[in-house]
Amino acid sequence: MEAVSRLIMQATETGAADATAAKKANAAIGAGFAYGIAAIGPGIGIGYLVGKSVEAMARQPESAGMVRTTMFLGIAFTEALALIGFVVFILIGL
Amino acid sequence: MHHAVIHLHGTTVRLVSSEDATTTAATGEASTESQDLSKPGPIVPELKELYWGGGSFVVFALLMRVVLYPKLKKGMKARYEGIRTAHESADAERASARAEVADYEQQLAGIKSEAARKVDVARAAVEAERADAIAKLNARLGEQRAAAKAEVEAARAAAQSQIRDAVSDVAGRAGELATGKRPSADVLNRVVNEVMAK
Amino acid sequence: MLAAFEFPKINAILRWKDLFSSFNKISLIAVAAALIGTIVFLLAGRKNANEAPKGVRNLAEATVEFVEDGIVMQTMGEKGLGWTPFLLSLFVFIYLCNVPGIIPILQMPATARMAIPMFLSLIVWVVYNGVGFKHQGLGYIGHTIWPPGVPAALKPLVGVIEFISNIIVRPFSLTVRLFANMLAGHILLVTFALLTEALVKAETKVYMLKPMAILPFFMLVFLTAFEVLVAFLQAYIFTILTAVYISGAMEGHGDHDHDDAHAAASH
Repeated sequence: MEAVSRLIMQATETGAADATAAKKANAAIGAGFAYGIAAIGPGIGIGYLVGKSVEAMARQPESAGMVRTTMFLGIAFTEALALIGFVVFILIGL
Repeated sequence: MHHAVIHLHGTTVRLVSSEDATTTAATGEASTESQDLSKPGPIVPELKELYWGGGSFVVFALLMRVVLYPKLKKGMKARYEGIRTAHESADAERASARAEVADYEQQLAGIKSEAARKVDVARAAVEAERADAIAKLNARLGEQRAAAKAEVEAARAAAQSQIRDAVSDVAGRAGELATGKRPSADVLNRVVNEVMAK
Repeated sequence: MLAAFEFPKINAILRWKDLFSSFNKISLIAVAAALIGTIVFLLAGRKNANEAPKGVRNLAEATVEFVEDGIVMQTMGEKGLGWTPFLLSLFVFIYLCNVPGIIPILQMPATARMAIPMFLSLIVWVVYNGVGFKHQGLGYIGHTIWPPGVPAALKPLVGVIEFISNIIVRPFSLTVRLFANMLAGHILLVTFALLTEALVKAETKVYMLKPMAILPFFMLVFLTAFEVLVAFLQAYIFTILTAVYISGAMEGHGDHDHDDAHAAASH
């Protein structure tokens, strides 16, 4: 991260030599990392959750409706974390 | 100059190929609205959106609560009720139809058994009549046969007595010719009987 | 060969020029959503209810039955049927605000701005807390903060966590979920549309570049189809979470386990 931002710093110094541009670039990198890292956990979580739900539905198709409702609720709660990362991405990156 | 410039609401989207990455792309247009574009943060709620959106939702929810939903639901309930009563009447009708069918089947069974009984009776009568006729026929045949037998018997007896007479006559004549005297009728009879019995 | 692709400022893809000084595109979409919903249900109510439903009435009745069977009965049971109009209007309004994101010319989900999700979440917050106080009196506070069966030693900790979860995180996560999902979808669509346009219009000697515009275009088409699903799903999730919250407030912290205490704890 540090190295990348210094690289950008140098690049901008040789080019436009603009401090705000360097700041912007740093923010963009930070935003990318923020969203990327925030997406890891919920990604795993949602995958696990849906996989388990499919297992449950396959085992007991008669309870599929209930499992599906609960699955959506679980997805909603899990997804919230990724979305907060996304909002941070919007806030600092764009 | 290998770059594409796209204008979208005053900002500029540039697509620059690497040969001329150093060329500056036009960004002049962006300045006309740029203060407008960066002013409200992307997650700050705007007041006009808030009250228009909120107001329309509140109005919609109230309308839904007071007018729209009850009306629709009433119609749905009425239809479901109608469907249920129709279902029930159809069920009742089906039950009555079933009873009718059962009744009809019972009658049918009665008639069938009656018919079978009649047929049996008729068959028995016919059978008896036939047996009677056969017996009568047999009796007549037997009579006729007996008569014919008796006739044949009589004819044979007559033929036998004739033959015996002829044989005893011939034998008597032959004995007379051989011995010169006629054998007695007794002897002749015995001899003839012996021969004929062979 | 692509060296740079400059994305427009976020406000450039979210805001139109105001139609009037106090009325913009988002307001227009919200008003249109309420209006369309009203008109659809009004027309549906006017049709003869006793023949087999078709057209508008079929649509409205299918929506009502979806909300009743798929949302209310699944989370609140029989006693929650009185909440159907509220949940129905929530569902219809959110859906009709989401769907303009994929309708040409409009191309903007009204819920991708903060105002409407925030307002709806606040309404839901007020409603479920009101229901809690109405059904449980002041005991609602205790029930909210301390789930039954918490050891006394843990009460301060659990109390803080549950308070944050139920009072602060719930409306916040409701807002952010709807807003961020729709905004993310919108940004994705914009990205691929711009990429397609940039490739088509590129003034370049690399002649292979222009036909490659087909790739982002396919992605754009696919994502548009995906957004149809997302628009429905987000309306559904917002509504079902509302139902869960209301039902939780109705019966206290009893046997209902649909609670985002864990989500709150990890924030």
